[in-house]
Amino acid sequence: MKKLLTTLVLIFAVTVVFAQNEKYSQAMTSGIGALKGLDKEKPDVKVLQDIANRFERIAAAEPKEWLPKYYAAYSYVLLGYYGANLTEKDQYLDKAGALIKDAEALLGKPNDELLVMQAYQSQIHLAADAMNRWQSDGPKFTEYLEAAKSANPENPRIYYLEGSNLFFTPEEYGGGKKVAQPLLEKAKQKFSTFKPESTIHPDWGQIETESMLSQSN
Amino acid sequence: MKPFYCLLIFVSPLAFSQKMIGGKITDKKGNPLVGANVFLKGTYDGSTTDAAGMFSFKTSEKDTATISASYVGFELSEKKIRINENTANLIFKLDELANELNTVVITAGAFEASDEKRMAMLKPLDIVTTAGAAADITGAMQFLPGAQRVGEQEGLFVRGGSGQETKVVIDGMIVQNPFFSSLPDVQQRGRFNPFMFKGTSFSTGGYSAQYGQALSSVLLLNTTDKANNNGLGISLNMANAGVNYDYAFKNQSVSAVAYYGNLKPLFAVVKQNVEWLHEPEFKGSSLTYRLKTSKNGVLKVYGMYSDSHLSMNTKDPSVEAGTMRLNLKNRNAFMTSTLTDSWKDGKWSLNSGFSYSRNTDDMTFDAVNFGRFDERTQARVVLTRLLTGNNTILFGGEAHAINLQNRVDGTTYKLKDRYAAAFAESEIYITRQLAGRIGMRSEYSSVINRLNWAPRLSFALKSGRFSQFSLAAGQFYQNPDYRYLYLNKNLNYERADHLILNFQIIKNQRTFRIETFYKNYAQLVREFTGQPYDADPYRFPWGTTNNGGKGYARGFDFFWRDQKTVKNLDYWVTYSFVDSKRLFQQFDTEATPTFISNHNVSLITKKWFEKIKTNLSMTYAFTSGRPYFNPNNDEFLKDKTPAVHNVSIQASKLHAIKGNLVIFYASVDNILNTKNVFTYRYTPDGKSRYAVGPQSYRSFFVGMQIMLSKKAKVSKDDF
Repeated sequence: MKKLLTTLVLIFAVTVVFAQNEKYSQAMTSGIGALKGLDKEKPDVKVLQDIANRFERIAAAEPKEWLPKYYAAYSYVLLGYYGANLTEKDQYLDKAGALIKDAEALLGKPNDELLVMQAYQSQIHLAADAMNRWQSDGPKFTEYLEAAKSANPENPRIYYLEGSNLFFTPEEYGGGKKVAQPLLEKAKQKFSTFKPESTIHPDWGQIETESMLSQSN
Repeated sequence: MKPFYCLLIFVSPLAFSQKMIGGKITDKKGNPLVGANVFLKGTYDGSTTDAAGMFSFKTSEKDTATISASYVGFELSEKKIRINENTANLIFKLDELANELNTVVITAGAFEASDEKRMAMLKPLDIVTTAGAAADITGAMQFLPGAQRVGEQEGLFVRGGSGQETKVVIDGMIVQNPFFSSLPDVQQRGRFNPFMFKGTSFSTGGYSAQYGQALSSVLLLNTTDKANNNGLGISLNMANAGVNYDYAFKNQSVSAVAYYGNLKPLFAVVKQNVEWLHEPEFKGSSLTYRLKTSKNGVLKVYGMYSDSHLSMNTKDPSVEAGTMRLNLKNRNAFMTSTLTDSWKDGKWSLNSGFSYSRNTDDMTFDAVNFGRFDERTQARVVLTRLLTGNNTILFGGEAHAINLQNRVDGTTYKLKDRYAAAFAESEIYITRQLAGRIGMRSEYSSVINRLNWAPRLSFALKSGRFSQFSLAAGQFYQNPDYRYLYLNKNLNYERADHLILNFQIIKNQRTFRIETFYKNYAQLVREFTGQPYDADPYRFPWGTTNNGGKGYARGFDFFWRDQKTVKNLDYWVTYSFVDSKRLFQQFDTEATPTFISNHNVSLITKKWFEKIKTNLSMTYAFTSGRPYFNPNNDEFLKDKTPAVHNVSIQASKLHAIKGNLVIFYASVDNILNTKNVFTYRYTPDGKSRYAVGPQSYRSFFVGMQIMLSKKAKVSKDDF
C-alpha cells in the first residue's frame, strides 16, 4: 500500500515535471518558429513585440533557463533596429542588454552565444546613431566578438556579424561588399558544420549570410 | 481507497477548468499601451495587449495568482488577484520610467559637449570641426554663449570675468598651466589635444560645490576611457609633424604621442605683425596608460612633457627704441592619474586622483631675467552614493601643495600655498519635474590663513516635454593673483556671488536656450601706488594692497542651434550681452575693465558634402569694442576700440588610400583681411599710441592626418 502510494506520488510528480518540460520546449519551439516566420526584410513590429513578450513569459516561468532570456534579448535587438525613433530604439536595446545580463548571471559567465548577442546589440545600438556612437560602440562590438571567438571559434554567427558589419560599411571607411565576402564565406562554411546543442538552441544567421553573399557576388 | 489514487493519476495539471482573465493597460493619462506584456507569474499563461491596450487570456490557475504587466519604458506593475468570474476587467495604469524626456536635468550655467548625454548641446567633435577654433578647446569655447573674446590674451573670459577667473579641470584635477606660456599681446593655445577627451562641460557660472578657486567658470574635461583605435597615426601640417600610436590589450591600453613643431615655414608664407627673432619651436610627448582594475574600476595615468623656445621683438612704448627683445624657453611637465570604481550596482562610486605639474619659464626681457617657476601637487577623493529615485549625495575633499617663484629685475619672490577643501552635495528629485542640487564647499588656504564657506544651489523645473527652467545661485572664492600675495600675506579671498536663470527647449535636433545672470564681486584686491594709472599689463604690482574692491556683471545670453531643417547642414548662433563695472587693481573709480566687450555674436555653420566626403565650416564672430586706457582722457577707461570682425572657413576631406584613412584639412582665418585692433597702448608721454592686434591678419593653414590602421572606422564627424 505504502509502495503504491509512493509510486503514485512519483508518477504524479513526473507527470507534472514532464508536462512542465514539454510545455517549455513546446513554447520555445513555437516562439522560435514565429521568429523564423518573420519577414526578414520588413517584419511586423507588433508581431515581433508579441514574440518578445512570449519569450519573456517563458523566462519568468522558467527562471533557471537562459535560453528564453536569450531569445527575448534577440527579439528586442531586432525591435531596436525597427524602432520608430532613437528613444524607442534605445529603450528596446536597453531592455535587450538587461536580458543578456540576466542570462549571463544564470550561467555564471557569458558563453559564446551571449557574447555574440552582446556584439549584435552594440552593432544595432551603433547603427541607431552612427555619427555619435561609432567611437564607443565600435570597439565594444569588436571586443565582444573577440571574446566570443576565444570561447568558441566555431560559432558561425561571429563571422556573420563581422561580415555584415563590413557589408554595410561604406568602401571609403574600409568596408564594402568585397571586403565582407571572405568573412561571409567563412560564416557559410562554419554554418555548414554547425550543429546546435538542441532544437531550441541558437541557430540563426544562415539565411541572412547567404542572402548577403548572393548580393556580394 | 484505491479508486481515490486512480483518480489522482487522471487529474493532470492541464485538466483544471479554465478561466478567462482580461483587461486594459494604459499609461497614467489613460492612453492605451499597445504591445504590453501581461501574464500570471510562474505560469505560461499570458498575452500581449492589442491596438486598444486590451488583453485577455485563459488560465487553469485557481484561487489567487500574481498578475504582472510590463511595457518597455514603463515601470513594472504587479497585482495579486483572486481568480473568479470577475477577472475579465483588470485595469493597469503604468508609470513611465525616468528618461531624458520626462525627467528634468539641472542645466543652469552648464554647457556640455558629450557623446553620452543627449541633453548635451555640443558633441566633442564639434570642437575640431569649427572654423576659427583652430582645433583648440578654448578656441571653440570662445564661441559659446557667455564667453567674451579677448584676442590678445589666452584664457576663457566668462560673463565679465577675467581669464584668470576660469579654471581648467581634467578628470577633477585643476590644471596649473592649461595654456602655453603667456607672452605679451599674443594669445596662446591650450596644451591639450581635443581628441583626448570624451566630454567637455563649460560652466558659465553657478557650478557644482565639487569645484572651487574660480570666480567665474570651470571648464571640465573628461578623458576617454579607451584607445580610440589600434595602430599608428601620422599628422603633418605647416607647423608640426607628429606620430601617435595606440595599442589596446584585453584590460589595458596605451597611447603614445610625440611631436616636433616649428612655425618658421608657416611664418615665411603668412605675413606676421610680430618681429620674430626665433620663431616658436616646440617638441613634446605624452603617454597614456589605462587599466581596467576590476569590473567597473579604471585606472588612468597620463603624463606629458613639452618644451618650447621662441624669441621676438615685442613692442614696448616705455623704452626709447619702442621694442624690447624677449626670449622665452619653457619646460612643462604634467602627470595625472585617476582611479574610478563603483560597487553594489553603482550605489557607491569613487573618483580619486593624484597629479603633479611643474612649469619653468626662462624668460628674459632685454637680457634681464624674468623667470617663472611653478609646481602643484594635488590629491582628490570623491565618493558618490546613489539613493532611491535617482537622488544622489556626494562628498569629498582635495588637497594641493603649490610652490611659486617669480624673478623680477633680479629679485626672486617665493610663495608656498597649502590648500585644502572639503565639499558635500546632494541632488534631489522632488518629482520628475522638479529637482534641486544643494552643495556646500569649505576651503582653507595657508597663504590666506582663513577658512571660507561657499554654498551652492540649483533648481530645475520641467515646463513641458521638451522645455525647462533652471535657476542657480552660489558663492565662489578664489585666491587673489599670486603676484599680490608675494608682497602682502594678509590678503583675503576674492569672492563672487552668482545668480542665474535659464530657459531651454531641446526638440527634434533643434536647441533654444536663453540665460540671464547677475554676478556680484566682493573682496577684490585693490592696489594703491600713489601714482597715475599704469596700463602696462606686464607690470609687477608693487603698491600696497587691500581687499576693498568690488564690482558687478549682469547680462544675458542666447543660443540657437538647428541640425534638422537642411539635411547635412548644422548651424548655431550665439549672442551674449554683458554690462560690468569694477573697482579693483589700480582703479581709482569704478569702471568697465579692458577685457569686457558688451556684445559678442557668433554664427557657426557646418555642411557635410556626402559625395566628396568633405566637411565645410564657416564662422563669423563679432566682438564689440572694448575700453582702453587713454592717459589724455580725464575720464578713466572711457575710450573704446573699434569692433572686431572675423570670418573664417575650414574644409576637411576624407580620403582612403589603400585602406588607410587620410584626412586633409585647410583653413583660412580672417578671410576678409580685417585689420582688427584689440587694444591701444600709449607711450609714457601720452603723445603717441600703437594698436595691439592679432599676430597676423588673413592667415591660412593646411595639413593632413593619416591613420595607418585597418581597424580605424571613420565617419563624417571624425575630424
